[in-house]
Amino acid sequence: MLGLAIVALAAGCAPGVAAQASDARSPAVVRASRRAYDGAPPVIPHAPLGPDCTACHDETGVVLPELGFSPPSPHERTQGLSAASRCVQCHVYRETDGEFVASSFVGLRQDLRRGTRQHTWAPPVRPHGRFLRENCAACHTGPAAREEIRTTHPERVRCEQCHAAVEARGTFRR
Amino acid sequence: MDRRELLRNLSIATAGVAAFSCRDRAEAERLAADGALARGEGNPDVTWDKAPCRYCGTGCGVLVGVQDGKVVAAQGDPASPVNRGLLCVKGYHLPGFLYGEDRLLYPQRRGADGTLQRISWDEALDLIAEKFGDALRDHGPESVAVYGSGQWTVFDGYAALKWVKGGMRSNNLDPNARLCMASAVVGFMTQFGSDEPMGCYEDFEAGDDFVLWGNNMAEMHPVLFSRILEHKRQNPGVRIVDIATRQTPTTDYADLFVPVKPNGDLALANGILHVLVRDGMVDRSFVEENCVLRRGIEDLDAIGFGVGGEAGERYGFKDEPRESSWDELVEFLADYTPERVAELAGVPARQVEVLAELYGARDRGTVSLWCMGVNQHVRGTWMNNLITDLHLVTGKIGRPGNNPFSLTGQPSACGTAREVGTLAHRLPADLAVTVPEHRARAEEIWGLEPGTIDPKPGYHAVDMFRALSRGDVKAMWIQTTNPWVSMPNLARFERKPGDGSFVVVSDIYPTPTTDVADLVLPAAAWVEREGMFGNSERRTQHWNKMVEPPGEAREDAWQIVEVARRMGMGHLFPWEGDWHEAMYEEYRTFGLGIGKDLASYQELKETPGKLWPVVDGVETRYRYAAGYDPYVKKSKGVHFYKAKSYGERAAIWLRPWHPPAEVPDAEFPMWLSTGRILEHWHTGSMTRRVKELHQAAPEAYVELNRADAAELGIKDGDRVRVASRRGSIELPARVDGRGKPARGSVFVPFFDEHHLVNELTLDAMDNLSKEPDYKKAAVRVEPVGGKS
Repeated sequence: MLGLAIVALAAGCAPGVAAQASDARSPAVVRASRRAYDGAPPVIPHAPLGPDCTACHDETGVVLPELGFSPPSPHERTQGLSAASRCVQCHVYRETDGEFVASSFVGLRQDLRRGTRQHTWAPPVRPHGRFLRENCAACHTGPAAREEIRTTHPERVRCEQCHAAVEARGTFRR
Repeated sequence: MDRRELLRNLSIATAGVAAFSCRDRAEAERLAADGALARGEGNPDVTWDKAPCRYCGTGCGVLVGVQDGKVVAAQGDPASPVNRGLLCVKGYHLPGFLYGEDRLLYPQRRGADGTLQRISWDEALDLIAEKFGDALRDHGPESVAVYGSGQWTVFDGYAALKWVKGGMRSNNLDPNARLCMASAVVGFMTQFGSDEPMGCYEDFEAGDDFVLWGNNMAEMHPVLFSRILEHKRQNPGVRIVDIATRQTPTTDYADLFVPVKPNGDLALANGILHVLVRDGMVDRSFVEENCVLRRGIEDLDAIGFGVGGEAGERYGFKDEPRESSWDELVEFLADYTPERVAELAGVPARQVEVLAELYGARDRGTVSLWCMGVNQHVRGTWMNNLITDLHLVTGKIGRPGNNPFSLTGQPSACGTAREVGTLAHRLPADLAVTVPEHRARAEEIWGLEPGTIDPKPGYHAVDMFRALSRGDVKAMWIQTTNPWVSMPNLARFERKPGDGSFVVVSDIYPTPTTDVADLVLPAAAWVEREGMFGNSERRTQHWNKMVEPPGEAREDAWQIVEVARRMGMGHLFPWEGDWHEAMYEEYRTFGLGIGKDLASYQELKETPGKLWPVVDGVETRYRYAAGYDPYVKKSKGVHFYKAKSYGERAAIWLRPWHPPAEVPDAEFPMWLSTGRILEHWHTGSMTRRVKELHQAAPEAYVELNRADAAELGIKDGDRVRVASRRGSIELPARVDGRGKPARGSVFVPFFDEHHLVNELTLDAMDNLSKEPDYKKAAVRVEPVGGKS
């Protein structure tokens, strides 16, 4: 029962707190529905639950009985920006589903392909930056993570030890 | 549950999401098969280029992602010293504002039946040239007007300035920045002989105490507020003081909230000065070395508010400054005891003392911040003067973490309106049309005959629209702004197209302003054209054109240049081909060598902006400060070298308390204040077309104090009528929302063209800057039945 609730809230549906277990959309589609483009801050998919968002969206996420799983904050390890101190500066609620004027905007879509790795047993390189996403667990562990990017080893906490960044293209030349 | 246990549970929960994960894989396969698979970071199909944000005056650096000729994403630019990679919700959603389906695509002229009909650019430009030419010939330079914007790029503003003042020989050029920053301009000019702050955003990490005067920084300048919050997180001794007429999200983070009555800030600032002087917390040696004292006209009847009688048509009050002295200051401040301030301002006497201790503490850096609460004020210039006085008498100025710092609401209120000088009395780089040497300098740079520029200032914004309503202005061009939402007392400016005058509007979307225009021109927006903005901390930022504008939209500067050429004024714009660099470098010559040196075009293209004055490629973080400012001759301390008329010293002004222009009474018993909210920017013509922002804040509302709401029988969400002597509107009530007005006052945001709060506001003005006061009007609130 709890497992179902966890899945439902992680997949999430806006607006409202109540999870909709019948949502047939994939987590990737749900994820995209909450963002203007890949990289945009998601809108808040539930009604206001109090002033301290980090009470539930902490470093590891919280299982809320009867409600589901509250995903971790990717900013919990962000330093120097007070990024976690005023969440509604970037994440807004939805008061309506309507539009003022229709829009033809099409945002950047999330890359759903697998990341690259040197060989079968090599750890994949990290295909994106970490800025404001320092807490890898937010997207790569737990029910809110898509299968393709969910880690098999959530107990290991120093991800950069094995997963190298891609800072440049091309190969080394003397 | 410990972390290890939680992680184990999450691993177990993983099994439960297998079904969803299968759909993820199916989705990926479908997208791949469709060829629609998105490309993420590092994909060569997405190009990223820098631009400043399109909205407020913070000037956040944005990396704009372009794919297939469209803007598809935005990131905060980690290389920008302004925001260090962070944006606010408006900034993250910038791409969406370009793609509303009702973008203006073609020039349109209003026909006899009142509808807009498509015409060609040649027809449109010829028509403007003809109408402005006719007005000049038949009625003279006072009959033409251009109403511009703090959202104009430097290019737009400079083209307009040169065409209006150097070509049409009119000074009827004014920006909407008159409605937001003019009081700060006059404040800085009257005290330092030069506009704009001396500090920079590094003050937010260098100060100890941050005093916010009527400034809801958490919503209006959220990224800058984040910098202060982070500084406070790292240094728990940092304090934030919120002086305001209503509690806002900023108040939630304040160490001290100081409730103040409308116009009570004048008394409070004088009360703080009183205690500083009384208790010897002033730096007399700093004052003697670096300051002069001045005093102006203070008689309320002589000054007025610009709304009644003759002043209600053309308000031209001029101050008559005279020399003052420290002794006179002490005598003047004797009236402002903490107890009297408590009566005038509603601030407890003990809080006045606490604020004085804060400003007077020599071992703590103090930064004062303000924006519209101080500027949109019938004595806004006086308030600017008084806040700066607090820094001058304590010597807390010109040092990191010790500065008065006015924030701006528009992306180039500083860079264009103030630096280019698109105001009715101004020329670039602090020059004024009223000064013969300044006019001569402009005429020399522009290659014009001596005497070309008119020495008489033109209409300021409010008077410009009054003149249009009277019929004195025959031809008006409005660019990049929406005055039929943003002007105060809107009913006064009602207009029907074809009324005998000619109004052309350049914008990117239909608005209530295009609704009353005779000719509507489609403008290119933001990264659809090349541009430059200047932000609150004197940083000039350049961006490249990144995508093509839709339809036939063109940049504002191009529109002006083409009309000028059709009017026989092509000599003002002699450049062939792409003229952006040549135009900018000509403009830049105005400020070289006089402390207003801007970075070169090429420097700006290659950097995230530079703080002027830029000398030998080096920017100036702290103006007037030895060790920072290359113009400072002294080996230490400060040197106010721009204040020539004060012997290169700053002026401390004696400024009294005055009452507001309108106060609540039995018929209209409550105060009305207006402003922005986090999600929407100004009149909402851009942000409301962004789905995420509209859905977060779809409609304006009136914020009520809980006790007032209970007394009036109003609950959260009820429809209510808000009425003033000038009009009434109906909208939903908010009780205990994000803002909490003081008892007896309400707040309404102005972004919603369907609930025009400026039908209620009063067109009273600051006596010196002529900036309207949007924060104080008397209203009545009553339930009308129904829920929103």
